[in-house]
Amino acid sequence: MKFLKTKLCITILGLTSVFAQAEIAVVVHPSNASALDSSAISRIFLGKLKSFDGGGQAVPINQESSMAATDEFNSKVLNKSGSQLKSYWSKLVFTGKGTPPKVVANDAEVISLISANPNLIGYIDATAVTGTVKVIAKF
Amino acid sequence: MKNTLAAAIVLALSATSSLAQAADTRINGFASVVAGLTNDEDTSMFGYNDNISFKPESLFALQIASDLGDGLSATAQIMSRGSNDYAAEFEWAYLSYEISDSTQINAGKLRIPFYRYSDFLDVGYAYTWARPPQAVYSLVFSTFDGLSIVNNHTLGNWDSSIQVIYGSYDGSVDLVSDEDPATLNNIMGINWTLTYDWFTARAIYAQAETSISFENNEDPDRLLNNGIALVGNIYPQVASDLNVDDDIGSFIGLGFAVDYNNLLIEAEFTTVDVENSIVAKQEQYYVSVGYRIYDFTIYAITEHGEDTNEGDYDYSSVLPVSLDITGYGTVYPQGTYQALIASQEETIDTATIGARYNFHPSAALKLDITSTKINDADAINVLSVGVDLVF
Repeated sequence: MKFLKTKLCITILGLTSVFAQAEIAVVVHPSNASALDSSAISRIFLGKLKSFDGGGQAVPINQESSMAATDEFNSKVLNKSGSQLKSYWSKLVFTGKGTPPKVVANDAEVISLISANPNLIGYIDATAVTGTVKVIAKF
Repeated sequence: MKNTLAAAIVLALSATSSLAQAADTRINGFASVVAGLTNDEDTSMFGYNDNISFKPESLFALQIASDLGDGLSATAQIMSRGSNDYAAEFEWAYLSYEISDSTQINAGKLRIPFYRYSDFLDVGYAYTWARPPQAVYSLVFSTFDGLSIVNNHTLGNWDSSIQVIYGSYDGSVDLVSDEDPATLNNIMGINWTLTYDWFTARAIYAQAETSISFENNEDPDRLLNNGIALVGNIYPQVASDLNVDDDIGSFIGLGFAVDYNNLLIEAEFTTVDVENSIVAKQEQYYVSVGYRIYDFTIYAITEHGEDTNEGDYDYSSVLPVSLDITGYGTVYPQGTYQALIASQEETIDTATIGARYNFHPSAALKLDITSTKINDADAINVLSVGVDLVF
């Protein structure tokens, strides 16, 4: 049943991608029942919110800044340019007040990490979604 | 004490890589290379004179942070400043412990959060300007030894951050010379920042038992030292109210910032006073307006600072105009007192225009022209060009 849903999801994504070239999906572990709006997602990725509404620790993962998904996510969800984000994090890093999310190379790495860890949250190109992760929002 | 602490933290950092498998050590850094000059051959400003110099504002820094797990981490920041002949020094060295998701305690050598940009004064990449407005950012000591507790929470749609600090400072301040030995004990402060999406407001109050020695006064006539001694011979209480000896110094800072679409507006107002002392009451503000156009940001700043000194007690009317001392001659206590009080008064007005260009994801180029007018002297213009980067 679940598999079917995912398949359906992929089909729909496949259709919409014709219209919106770089739609991104925010993904978590399938067991994560949290409902997150874009403001909560943004707060997690900016280090301001550290747990899911269910209570579990929320650990964001970023992709390399050269990836298209990163640019899309930064501008659509975080509302910041790459250099604004870098300056935001340098304020926190060099004052001991925060650490930017871990960075991985691509969609596949995000998926493989998240499918193995319920605390993680990441973003990928919506067309790359597989059944091992759960989409909680699309932008 | 400071060095021992720093050494202990470095030891902790280096030990973690071998002892604790889980320890996660990160190295970050930042650097600025800035060239500047003034149009005035007699007076220096921000360390520059009328020959191009790279030293005054260039710096390199490395930060090593080790996450020991369970919310405990150790961080050291080592900085090498051109103004200090690139000698490497510990700028920060502290242990952090996350008491909860929202509360963190830091202990060690830390920044005093006097100003909005205090915590990252040296990280040029983190702000738009070439340098934070100097009429306001005028307190030369920026670190202390002690504790800082930060609590982050939300109030409706607002992010609220409350920081409480406690500690001491033993070093120098810039009052009558560039390096007046100073001790600040029982530094206590509370700093509250509220952020709503594009709007930030901030307030800080801090105080400390302040002692400052004037022994390094470079004035060849040592008018200040001799004047206080002279008045003090006859009126010890007056001298005591001029000297900075365990007197309560207080700092108030208010600020706000707007980052709306491409418009950036920022302002800070600060006041510094040391009661029962010759130190003038200092009031400063700046207003900065900037506009982002793609990778460029242009900005303009206006600053004003006023150090006024009515004296915490006005002894002018109490002190005699002149006094004959047998075997010494005539002294003028009232005039001396008034001259000492007036010597600490100063007005500063500054205007700045500049631009930042993010030419690389990790680096920014900045061009800045700042014109500073102190009292009635001619304005001194400083032109600087620099590159700030983080890695």
